[in-house]
Amino acid sequence: MEKTTTASLTAKKTMIGQRLNKPDAPDKATGKTRYINDMVLPQMLIGKVLFAGRPHARIARLDTTAAEKLPGVHAVLTGKDVAGLKFGFVRDNVPLKDKVRCEHDEIAAVAAETEEIAQRALELIEVEYEDLPGVFTPEDGAREGAPQIHDNFPGNKSLHFEFKDGDLAEAEAASDFVVDNVFRPHHVTHCCMGTSCAIADFDHNGKLTIWTQTQYPYNYKMDLAPALGIHPGNIRVIQPPVGGAFGSKLDVYPYEPIAALLAKKTARPVKVMYSREEEFKASPTRQSAIIHMRTGCTRDGTLTFRTADVLMDNGAYTSWGPTIPVVMMRTVSGHYRVPVVDFKAQAIYTNNPYAGSFRGYGNVQAAWATAQQMDMLADLVDIDPLEFHLKNAQKSGEVTPQKSILNECVFVECLETAAAASDYGRKRKEYAAERNKPGRYKKGIGLASSIHNAGGAKIHKSDGIGTILKVDDYARVTVITGASEIGQGIDVVIMMIVAEELGVPPEHVTIVNNDSDIAPWDVGVHASRTTFIAGNGTRRAAQKARAQILNAAARALGELAEDLDLRDGSVVRNRDGAPLLKLERLMRQMHFQPEPELVMVTDYYEPNSEPEGAKYSSNSSAAYSHAVHIAEITVDTLTGEIKVDKVTVAQDVGRVINRMGLEGQIEGGIAIGLGYALSEDMRIEKGMLKNPCFRDYKLITAPEIPTFDLHFIESYCVEGPYGAKGISELPTIVIAPAIANALYNATGVRIFNPPMSPEKVARAIHERRVQATSPDGGVIPS
Amino acid sequence: MQEITTYLAPRRLDEALRATADGDATVFCGGTDLAPQTESGVRQYKAKLLSLRRIEELGGIEAEGHEIRIGATTTISEIRRSSALAEIAPVLVEATEHFASEQIRNAASVGGNLCNASPAGDMSPPLLVLGAAVELACWREGAVRTRRIPLEEFFLGPGKTAKLPEELLTAVVFERPVVDFVGRFRKSGPRPALEISTVSVAFGARIANGLLRGVRVAMGAVAPTPLRARHVEAALEGKPLDAATIAAAVAATTEDAKPIDDVRASAWYRSHLIQVFVEEVLNDVRRN
Repeated sequence: MEKTTTASLTAKKTMIGQRLNKPDAPDKATGKTRYINDMVLPQMLIGKVLFAGRPHARIARLDTTAAEKLPGVHAVLTGKDVAGLKFGFVRDNVPLKDKVRCEHDEIAAVAAETEEIAQRALELIEVEYEDLPGVFTPEDGAREGAPQIHDNFPGNKSLHFEFKDGDLAEAEAASDFVVDNVFRPHHVTHCCMGTSCAIADFDHNGKLTIWTQTQYPYNYKMDLAPALGIHPGNIRVIQPPVGGAFGSKLDVYPYEPIAALLAKKTARPVKVMYSREEEFKASPTRQSAIIHMRTGCTRDGTLTFRTADVLMDNGAYTSWGPTIPVVMMRTVSGHYRVPVVDFKAQAIYTNNPYAGSFRGYGNVQAAWATAQQMDMLADLVDIDPLEFHLKNAQKSGEVTPQKSILNECVFVECLETAAAASDYGRKRKEYAAERNKPGRYKKGIGLASSIHNAGGAKIHKSDGIGTILKVDDYARVTVITGASEIGQGIDVVIMMIVAEELGVPPEHVTIVNNDSDIAPWDVGVHASRTTFIAGNGTRRAAQKARAQILNAAARALGELAEDLDLRDGSVVRNRDGAPLLKLERLMRQMHFQPEPELVMVTDYYEPNSEPEGAKYSSNSSAAYSHAVHIAEITVDTLTGEIKVDKVTVAQDVGRVINRMGLEGQIEGGIAIGLGYALSEDMRIEKGMLKNPCFRDYKLITAPEIPTFDLHFIESYCVEGPYGAKGISELPTIVIAPAIANALYNATGVRIFNPPMSPEKVARAIHERRVQATSPDGGVIPS
Repeated sequence: MQEITTYLAPRRLDEALRATADGDATVFCGGTDLAPQTESGVRQYKAKLLSLRRIEELGGIEAEGHEIRIGATTTISEIRRSSALAEIAPVLVEATEHFASEQIRNAASVGGNLCNASPAGDMSPPLLVLGAAVELACWREGAVRTRRIPLEEFFLGPGKTAKLPEELLTAVVFERPVVDFVGRFRKSGPRPALEISTVSVAFGARIANGLLRGVRVAMGAVAPTPLRARHVEAALEGKPLDAATIAAAVAATTEDAKPIDDVRASAWYRSHLIQVFVEEVLNDVRRN
């Protein structure tokens, strides 16, 4: 059919960089989505956990007789039933405890017909505790003669990390200025809208099916198995829609094996779901730390060295929290050129809640310190503050002391773009000059930056992903992928990439990624890796399918495959876009010909990175990215309230894939960072959480969201899918120190222990004024 | 948890009063305080749950006469949207702007907010400066009996009021403020939305011939009950609103406000904020 008009020709247009809605958005917005928390299985029992409610104690007596006799109760489990079922990073945790080490230690669990019966059964369990002296700060835990929390961890010592590079004494001697501060990043928690929930069911062959919110279904099996005493191969993981994760579901926590153990004992499905109060008390936190940092530079603004001595509150058990130094040290030793580094970190067991991973993963804490010290030095050196950042910013081709290779590095462009867009230089000078003049409301501007892995993180031997892709008789595509969807938007990215390669509408792509018995292996949703890793995996699989389809089309049409393209659901002529054959017709022709052919391809993608080495010197990510935030704030110097007026963001995104997803990730990430900076605070007193509710634990809400000015810097990463890099953690990492620097710019005070709550800010400003007007003072501290 | 065995939702006040004549019912209107308190175990349901929501005579705002009357089940949103109240008592409407969130304002009632007797209750300070009284009713000897007590005598402690168990709060009433009445409300918490007061201040007075008259100052969250700040009032009464008067009023706050440390704020910060707010509202009145 030669007759073609210009209008019917199909021009090559790209999906990449478009704005697409998440496919699950309408169901979520209208309440149709059934989250794991909504799930009910036939014959399902409700499991509930008895928490210790005290920080450190011996269990003198535990009697479950009355609970077991309560009609409707099917099982009661205690520490005795799980002896030896140790799990966790250093095998220091068990599903049910024989000793209390923190407030939320799980002492007993029941499975009953209803939640009310389960609750009543918990009340019937008799426990006598002998309280023990507790350890509530890492300093106290490290002290000689401190109470021991675990018998096999003497001195309460948990994980330890060290990284050194260069001659420190020489670098110190060469420094004209050294800033020296102690930063105390605090405990916050994820506050997922969907509280922790697991449903477990065993079949009579001993195979466990667990419906869970996990972000890492494949290694999860390996981590869960020892807590149950079964083989990981006997676990099937199903991931229903979840109401947030943010790193909180990157490990196994006791409620999951508890659900499974109750299911095993009762031979019925068992659901364990936390109330909001239980969620606050028993889900992991962000790692708190005491960071003693020093940074030096010369008068002309060249950095000379940086040291960091980090003491971490491990809490009662070891999850991912105390492993954050692996990420901290990259920020401490890199993004600005730091010729000499001395980094030490020690985690100490305490009787406090324990930390897991949380979006930003150590970098939130590291950037809180590094970005403030950069701002302090910028005031001391002889050059312009922005010039100071630019002079030390690393560039493409540089290798950090930890051997991270910076390819396609646009840190300088990020700094320049954000500074120009916000008029940073002028405002910073102007606001500082206004600082000591009368006036209740003060404006401030602050800059902060950081680096993060943007091409996966090879913390395991492999950082890869498996992908299976099929195209059916109707040209509908199914991608069976290891990449989990926890709300972050990999579904859209996969749909767009398939659409780009196969010329089908994105809504014709179905994703199967929620069943470990079906989808192939992947490390999990963490480390800002999924768009990069699963994007590459999907693209490679789609390209294999494309080659097969174009070869078949070429045979059918008597053309050369390289003269053909796939656009708008058709095979078209590459040269002018003339449609030659409907794709779905071709798919049926391929299927029903004498030598039938189905399009079903597989791919395993492993990123070009090195496993994290014991000495922390390896290029463990296939790409790195930078972000610069400039926060503009107004401070009420009397009430201490900080209003964030505007945040200018310049972030290296590699290449925009889904523009809407990118905006959502950056703005949402900043919202989490704003809570960290301004209002969120777990008030833990002697191991007990005092504010386990949203009334007293203050999340940032819609009216506090500032104006955003987002600049996506496209560096076209050679390793990334279409040039894209991972992006999701940097927004959470950079915002808090940008506000801290703006607070200093506005008022001359610094808060080292977040959050920068109105009370802390008001007190600091008040004290600074008292000091300034006192007869023996008169010097305004800088 | 006590099981609720009886749920009553009468349409007439006398029916409700008869139902609570034994003093043994949990009274429910918006539920915005009751639900979280029972959920967290701070409070237990009684066997009898009595809803006031269907009783029409307990709702509505009467603003025509000399006396302004707001029915107990009037929601915060209704007060917020009342053009009559916006004219007569803007200080009350202003306080509703700071009251929780839209959803909570739609459910919460003014009577419930007062009966909850939280030191931080948002309706208390503005009603105190309006000189409001509460109307309490009960069923006695075959008839509805009512009494009135000034709002400041109503609050006895956190969660404690002068209302007897068999009584229901039926309305809050106050005299129509004079034309030259000025009022202000100021509240703070760590974030602007959905916030429980760290502290709050309300101010009301007339300015006659340049002098403050009939001064009322009320404070929230600085003592076990919302209170009238008598020392601050004394520092202002009959005085011109100038810098010296304002300074004296600010200094007097320490006599009235006896805040505590808790999970929301320290005593230092509450005392500090009270001074800031008193100064702020007085300066604001002075400027306008």
